[in-house]
Amino acid sequence: MNLLELKQVTLRRGGHTLCTNFSNVIITGRVTAIMGPNGTGKSSLLLALAGMIPVTGEIVLRGKLLNDYTRAEIAREIAWQGALPPTEFGLTVAQRLRLAGGEDQSGIVEPARLMETESFLDRSLGDLSSGERQRVELAALMLRDTPVWLLDEPSTHLDLHHQMACLNMLRRQAEHGRAIVVVLHDIQQAMRIADDVVLFDNRCHIEAGIATGMLTQNHLQTVFGVPLHPTSLLPEY
Amino acid sequence: MRVNLKFTVILLLTCGLLLAAMCVGDSWINPLHMTALDHTVFLELRVPRVLVAFAVGGLLALAGAWFQVLLGNPLAEPYVLGVAGSAAVGAVTGLMLLPESVWAMSVGAFAGAWVGIAVVMTFSHLGPSRVLLVGVVLAAFWSAVLALLLTSLPEHGLGRALAWMMGDLSHSEIPVSILLLTWVAALGCGMLLSRSLDMLLLGERHAEALGVDVTSLRRRVLFMASAVTAVAVTAAGTIGFVGLVVPHLMRLIFGSLHRFVLPASAIGGGLLLAMADTVARTVIAPAELPVGVLTAIIGVPVFLYLILRRVS
Repeated sequence: MNLLELKQVTLRRGGHTLCTNFSNVIITGRVTAIMGPNGTGKSSLLLALAGMIPVTGEIVLRGKLLNDYTRAEIAREIAWQGALPPTEFGLTVAQRLRLAGGEDQSGIVEPARLMETESFLDRSLGDLSSGERQRVELAALMLRDTPVWLLDEPSTHLDLHHQMACLNMLRRQAEHGRAIVVVLHDIQQAMRIADDVVLFDNRCHIEAGIATGMLTQNHLQTVFGVPLHPTSLLPEY
Repeated sequence: MRVNLKFTVILLLTCGLLLAAMCVGDSWINPLHMTALDHTVFLELRVPRVLVAFAVGGLLALAGAWFQVLLGNPLAEPYVLGVAGSAAVGAVTGLMLLPESVWAMSVGAFAGAWVGIAVVMTFSHLGPSRVLLVGVVLAAFWSAVLALLLTSLPEHGLGRALAWMMGDLSHSEIPVSILLLTWVAALGCGMLLSRSLDMLLLGERHAEALGVDVTSLRRRVLFMASAVTAVAVTAAGTIGFVGLVVPHLMRLIFGSLHRFVLPASAIGGGLLLAMADTVARTVIAPAELPVGVLTAIIGVPVFLYLILRRVS
């Protein structure tokens, strides 16, 4: 089922055009990886899909223009996870999770356990490492029972064990019917979880397609400008 | 200690200390054995004075808590966007135009504060860091205008203006009932927005993602915080420190959630200013010390102690 649809979308930030006339669909039960070099517009596309920045063209959610939804209505359909939130005001982990999932204390236990944050629920976010805070954000995301999840580099700051846990969790969520759109830099991670890939290049050009067709040596070498191993697609230093 | 117990303690402490503050002055008044003169002094001078201090302190602390979360900056305080500066310009202008009037400074301060609010609201659509920058620039502008006006004030007027600028609870022209009603209304409005304000602690993007209409929230909170600052400044001049430190003190005691921070700040700010004012009007009675100086002298050690205790 088409949940989110981009129709002839042109994206601009700070006076620069990031992409023009881009059309694509985000489908229930699939993981879409957004990839490309730095500064090409991946995070901006994610913000546009969350209705947080304006675009030219149309973004349609369940057949209705995203612009016609209120912020609260969008929040019931789309969850967004971006950069780590600030920590100046001393929110605890439990308070952060309850802000995402309502006031019910029991509801936060399972996501906290899955992201291995249950041992520091009462600690301040400011006392945690970046990796621990990233796990808290993933647990907070798991409390959002929305059909669409948008994630901006969710495995940043995580050690290998938690990177795997994060990717497996996203894959499972897609299998349970959620539409996942995730900005990734790691080609191996994309190969592991993505069904579809949206690939930005440095020339305001975007391509979208099935992961197996997009994640090829030639394609990626052209976009990133580095030599890649033909099968593992690891960079050849 | 559970939050409910903490609130019970702070409420009992506040009631007890406010009553004590009403009894203290250049002579002690026993509320159970009052002469006719005591009765008059107690009801017509001390009770209004303590309640004015309580309301003004509470309003400043509420405004501080709002500005800090709105601007995402723990150093924000009620005067950060220049509302106090524009109020001071208004007060001094009033004093210049009508030097004999007792109302001139208050009316001028209130009008000046609203000019400042109108200017700030023009920029309310900008992000927090830009609003803060605009506020700092505006504060510098009002400060320059104020300096210009002060140079042309006669000596008598200069004394009144400086006393007002250091905080003066002895000549509040706003009735205490209006101040207390403003305190209740501000706290009520703040409580209605408390969950959205909690989400704003995560930053504007995260708050938006959780369903908060950040633009509308920012405009409403900016208006409320500026408006209560205007009322507080009009009633008592510029009293620093309360709006900056009390919200942090209350976060240390009650945590970060606004359904606790806002009522605790409204009460705690009121209590701090009432206590500071009591000391200010008694320590060298019948003369008075500037209350703003005492808020800092009382509050800084308490704040540093709590910070050190938290770190250890």
